[in-house]
Amino acid sequence: MAQFVQFTLQRAAMAIVTLLMVSLIVFTLMELVPGTCAERYLAFKNTQGSQITLADIEAEKKRLGLDRPFLVRWGSWVESVFVEGEFGDSCILRLNINQLLADKFWISLAICLVALFASYLIAIPVGIISASSKSALTNNSLRFVSYLGLALPNFLLALIIMLFSTVMFGDSLTGLFSKEFRDAAWSWPKFLDFLKHAWLPIFILGWSATAFALQTVRALMLDEIGKLYVTAASARGITGRRLLWRYPARHALGPVINSLGFDLNRIFNELPVVALILTLTEAGALLIEALARSNDQQLAGAIIFLLTASIVFLNFVTDILLALMDPRVRRGLMG
Amino acid sequence: MTTQAATAPTKRDQKAKEAYFTASQTQLIWHRFKSNRSAMIAGWALIIMVLMGLFAPFLSPYNPTVAGRDVNYENGAPQIPKFWDHNGFSARPFIYAVERERSIKTNFRWVTTVNKEKRHYIHFFVKGWKYSLIDFEWDLPGRALDVNFTALTFDRHLFGADEGQVHVFGTDSSGKDIFSRTLHAIWTSLAVGTLGVLISFILALIIGGVSGYFGGWIDSILQMFTDAIRTVPPIPLFMAMAAFMPDEWSSETRFFVISLILGLVGWPTLARRIRTHLLTERSQEYVLAAQLAGAPAGHIIRKHLLPSFTSYIIVDLMISFPYMVRSETALSFIGLGLKDPVNSLGALMQNVSKADVLLNYQWYFIPVIFFIALVLAFVFVGDGLRDAADPYSGVKK
Repeated sequence: MAQFVQFTLQRAAMAIVTLLMVSLIVFTLMELVPGTCAERYLAFKNTQGSQITLADIEAEKKRLGLDRPFLVRWGSWVESVFVEGEFGDSCILRLNINQLLADKFWISLAICLVALFASYLIAIPVGIISASSKSALTNNSLRFVSYLGLALPNFLLALIIMLFSTVMFGDSLTGLFSKEFRDAAWSWPKFLDFLKHAWLPIFILGWSATAFALQTVRALMLDEIGKLYVTAASARGITGRRLLWRYPARHALGPVINSLGFDLNRIFNELPVVALILTLTEAGALLIEALARSNDQQLAGAIIFLLTASIVFLNFVTDILLALMDPRVRRGLMG
Repeated sequence: MTTQAATAPTKRDQKAKEAYFTASQTQLIWHRFKSNRSAMIAGWALIIMVLMGLFAPFLSPYNPTVAGRDVNYENGAPQIPKFWDHNGFSARPFIYAVERERSIKTNFRWVTTVNKEKRHYIHFFVKGWKYSLIDFEWDLPGRALDVNFTALTFDRHLFGADEGQVHVFGTDSSGKDIFSRTLHAIWTSLAVGTLGVLISFILALIIGGVSGYFGGWIDSILQMFTDAIRTVPPIPLFMAMAAFMPDEWSSETRFFVISLILGLVGWPTLARRIRTHLLTERSQEYVLAAQLAGAPAGHIIRKHLLPSFTSYIIVDLMISFPYMVRSETALSFIGLGLKDPVNSLGALMQNVSKADVLLNYQWYFIPVIFFIALVLAFVFVGDGLRDAADPYSGVKK
């Protein structure tokens, strides 16, 4: 038990170190953009009619703490993010980032996680069946579908579905909420309305994720199915589904848990493009908004950091889960 | 007699065996790759597409930029050359003439009509817009870096129409020929991908090489750094980096910066593989022998360790290629990558994202087909190479 706690703590420490490093990368990116917050604020004031001078900019820099060295500023950013969960203000929108993001980030995360979950829900049984099937037709068509998941751009899929529904139902299926719920507080009807809209992004994000997961599950199963203990089990008279699920599947699915973090990474990758097409109002769209339109580095940095943080967290959880579930891993880690 | 008959095949077997055992690594890989039918087909498709990109100026009848636009045929449907119609047969392929009219009849809007009675014939090896095979006209930041150099200028094209213009894939909203644009876009996307893979490969080689060869605390720190970069979703990271690019940068500069960004973000996976290879190889005896003979670290890495898995590196590069092309497309699609005057597959796909296009101008989707084919070809070839390079791939099955 003590060893397990030690292992957990060690993993948590590693996760925090990774997050610190990510925060340094993100912060550097934010800093590299020409123009500082002070200049932005005063440029805004200028458009409002007040005269500004160079001295004003310097004073504003001092007020915002921008005259301190780079590492010190990074330190204070990290401190406010890690300790208070506070991302500061967006200079362009002059709004608090936490307020701006609030629900939107959680909505994105929920959509991505559901897509991830759904993809494995499909991929695990189908992958196991396809690995055990000898039929060339099944195998080839599955391979083709997997490859298509990689090659078919998800925006194309989204567009085709949108076109189809526009022609068939007269509704383009875009957005995440109906008009009447857009600014309403969360309630049961709003949630139902959300579900009615969210299935499409979930489906599109899950599409390529499923293709990848299928390939992984199939490859892992193929590796296990040829092993001697499976032959031994079938020699003892265990056949069919019982054989597959009890023996090779249990071993094959360990690494799958491990790869969840990277699958989430891949789904986040697709998020901005899908958000753009479906005009979703969540973090992915906000990221595009922040980067492509307004060059709002504070907001973009916060979103990228949050996305990465959720991957790091998922990696941490899966590490612990794997250690709990797989005795081989447990023994390897804790001696 | 009988002995002769028996020895003949064994002799051949012997020869085959000898050939097998003396074959170099490359020959073995090539042999295994050849027997993989889907990879071979994909390989041919890839070669054809690369050639299409390479000879894009010759193959495309019109200039892919605004200079080559057809004012009389904006948003025009693909014109498929025909050999016969209701007016009879023709040995030379032809298309129908299009007429554009604006009058009170058409409510003062430009209306394009196809005149089925008038034929425009297609000719081969016609003279058209000028292109140079060697054309360096880089407008890099700083005047000293500007390069202007053109050579091998031609104006022959594979085909063209005798009157008017022929657009086999149709035209876009400003009348640019989509066929010409697609061919040029394939080349641009390949070039961006190649440059990106090259940059990431060099970075991966340095970082993975150092980390794998030295091991210990250097390895731990570098691995932590690599893992940190690997956890950040690359496309948002691409976006953040691409957002720095000022709008006023020239398309050439954008092109290089995009490749640079792709390379800067894409190295971690490769670096990890190189490190793993090195970690297993560095404890081998031949490395120890070289070390005892007094060879410096750089020499051992370059001369002894890297050649031991060159084939794996090539495979890894091939596999990372479609991801680069995809990333470029995603970036350009969002509007942060290459922009319209440049023809990249992503920039072409940007036009597709409007519902208007979807309903009325489906031929805008033709470049998407090429994109899918390109990525699929790369994936199949990459997978085929990976299987071929793995000496145990045949044993497993």
